[in-house]
Amino acid sequence: MPRTLIVDPTAPCLNQPQQLGRTLDGLTGKVVGFIDDSKPNFNHLVDDLAELLVNRYGASKVIKRRKRVSSHPASDTVITELVEQCDMVITGSGD
Amino acid sequence: MVGTVLIFDPTAPCQNEPKHLPPTLDDLRDKVVGFIDNSKPNFDNLVEDLAELLRSRYGASRIIKRRKRLSSHPAPEAMIKELSEQCDVVITGSGD
Amino acid sequence: MAKRGPAAVAICSTAFAALGRAQATALGYPELPIAVIPHPFGSRTRDEVRQLAEQCIGEIVRLVCEAGPRDSSVVPNRSSLTERAALIKVPGDLDGLYSLFRERHWGDGLPVVPPTTERVERMLCHSHRAATEVVATVAPGFGAATIERIAANAVLAGCDPEYLPVLIAAVEAVAEPRFNLQGIQVTTNPAAPWLIVNGPIGKRLGVNSGVNCLGQGTCANATLGRALRLILQNIGGALPGEMDRATQGQPGKYTFCCAENEEMNPWEPLHVERGFAPECSAITVVGGASGTLNMNTHAKDADDLLRVIADTMAHPTSNDYWTGGEPWLVLAPEHAEILKRAGLSKSDVKRRLWEQSKMPAGRMAAKDRLRTGDARRAELGEIGPDTMLPISTQPELIGIVVAGGPGTHSVYVPTYGNSRSVTRKVVCNA
Repeated sequence: MPRTLIVDPTAPCLNQPQQLGRTLDGLTGKVVGFIDDSKPNFNHLVDDLAELLVNRYGASKVIKRRKRVSSHPASDTVITELVEQCDMVITGSGD
Repeated sequence: MVGTVLIFDPTAPCQNEPKHLPPTLDDLRDKVVGFIDNSKPNFDNLVEDLAELLRSRYGASRIIKRRKRLSSHPAPEAMIKELSEQCDVVITGSGD
Repeated sequence: MAKRGPAAVAICSTAFAALGRAQATALGYPELPIAVIPHPFGSRTRDEVRQLAEQCIGEIVRLVCEAGPRDSSVVPNRSSLTERAALIKVPGDLDGLYSLFRERHWGDGLPVVPPTTERVERMLCHSHRAATEVVATVAPGFGAATIERIAANAVLAGCDPEYLPVLIAAVEAVAEPRFNLQGIQVTTNPAAPWLIVNGPIGKRLGVNSGVNCLGQGTCANATLGRALRLILQNIGGALPGEMDRATQGQPGKYTFCCAENEEMNPWEPLHVERGFAPECSAITVVGGASGTLNMNTHAKDADDLLRVIADTMAHPTSNDYWTGGEPWLVLAPEHAEILKRAGLSKSDVKRRLWEQSKMPAGRMAAKDRLRTGDARRAELGEIGPDTMLPISTQPELIGIVVAGGPGTHSVYVPTYGNSRSVTRKVVCNA
């Protein structure tokens, strides 16, 4: 069967792989931030995880911020605040 | 690909044979006129007006009006039979 | 009527005159007298209707009395109505081929796969039935859907050869009188037959029943629904703007096909509900007519969930309420599980939804309430603004399938109203 040349209709991602933030050597004394995606029950999960991180893992402080709607990114203000104040930030995705 | 290629025609001719219509009438004087109201809005009003004109202006002797329950279904067999037995001409409609 | 004896005249509004002529021809009466009145007609005032009657009465009488003798020498050449699909020589390059298909209106606007003899024959290997066997004549043009023509349209749509038995069953199903294909094909409603696949064949052919099952991306879903549309158009003759009078149409007219998610369905699958054995393969065709409506709800309580679904179903412009129809739901697996855990059978769900979706007739426009009265008087008695209209004549007529992936989205599929779904067995070569 003869062959034909075609143009690939797909496109590679333009975003370069980014370096992740530093890893931590424990959570004692650390500040933990949460971005609550406002999906049902995530606020409860945040409460429970925050309690465990403080009581069991020694986190010093928890900052919880909740998005207005799940399908929009967190605001720049929230991102800036958590980046400046937190040693780690936890967020989520899913129903 | 170059040249030509044979393909199947994806369409199909109509399976219904063309039929002849009944002969026309000389006029409508003393004739019985039937209406199949397709139940679309205003068709009942048109039927009323046409019936009056056919009687008063064209001398039709009698009007039989029958209305379908739903426009998108054919008239029931009983209605078709009644009108074809009793009427010299039947008027129906299509459209919004 | 024309075949029975009396003279016959049809009155068509201008926008429907072409349909009237085409339909008369398709039914075998190319010479049927048609009197044309200006469109729109339904929204005219009473006085305007009177004026139209004055304008068209002369033409009606002329058509009945003075149309002249019919030409009795015109005898159709019956021998030309062969059941064999014609073979046509077409340009061998894709540009030439697509150009020809566009000119002849043989496609849906998208590129097609040429139905060459080789491709059609490969497809025919998947049916034991003769190529020239007529499966059905397809309204409104009444072309014969032979096995061969179904195969040709399946190739056009891009179907794999193994899909042919599904399409044969689908054509049998849409041709059943209770589906009312005639109405669906020529309506101004955005009617689109929805093809649902059940049983082992769904898995075997890779028909998507999960994530994005009503969307794009799966060959079987895309091409099976597309092939059915091409059959209805090419064999049935319902060309947009000609016999297909859809005011806007809808995207589901390109394709509308999925499988039921039988693994995630906590109840019996649709085909078992309809009397088929679980190991049997079957399809169901539904006369959908409004596209699909997303019901995004996080309700976790069965009563709350049923309430919001019922509320969604009740809308005043619905064909189902007007005629007493057969509305359908695609329940997300998560929603179905909530209802099942509350102890509800599928039949319980239908009964609850039927009761809770009753809608006061006064929510309809006044004219729509009047036509509902005409259509449902025998069933419901006189209908006033306070009459509570059930969406269907009985709860069992609410159709339910479980399909989709993870997520809190169920789908409401309102229907043409004047159509009933049909389930047929899919017969594959042994």
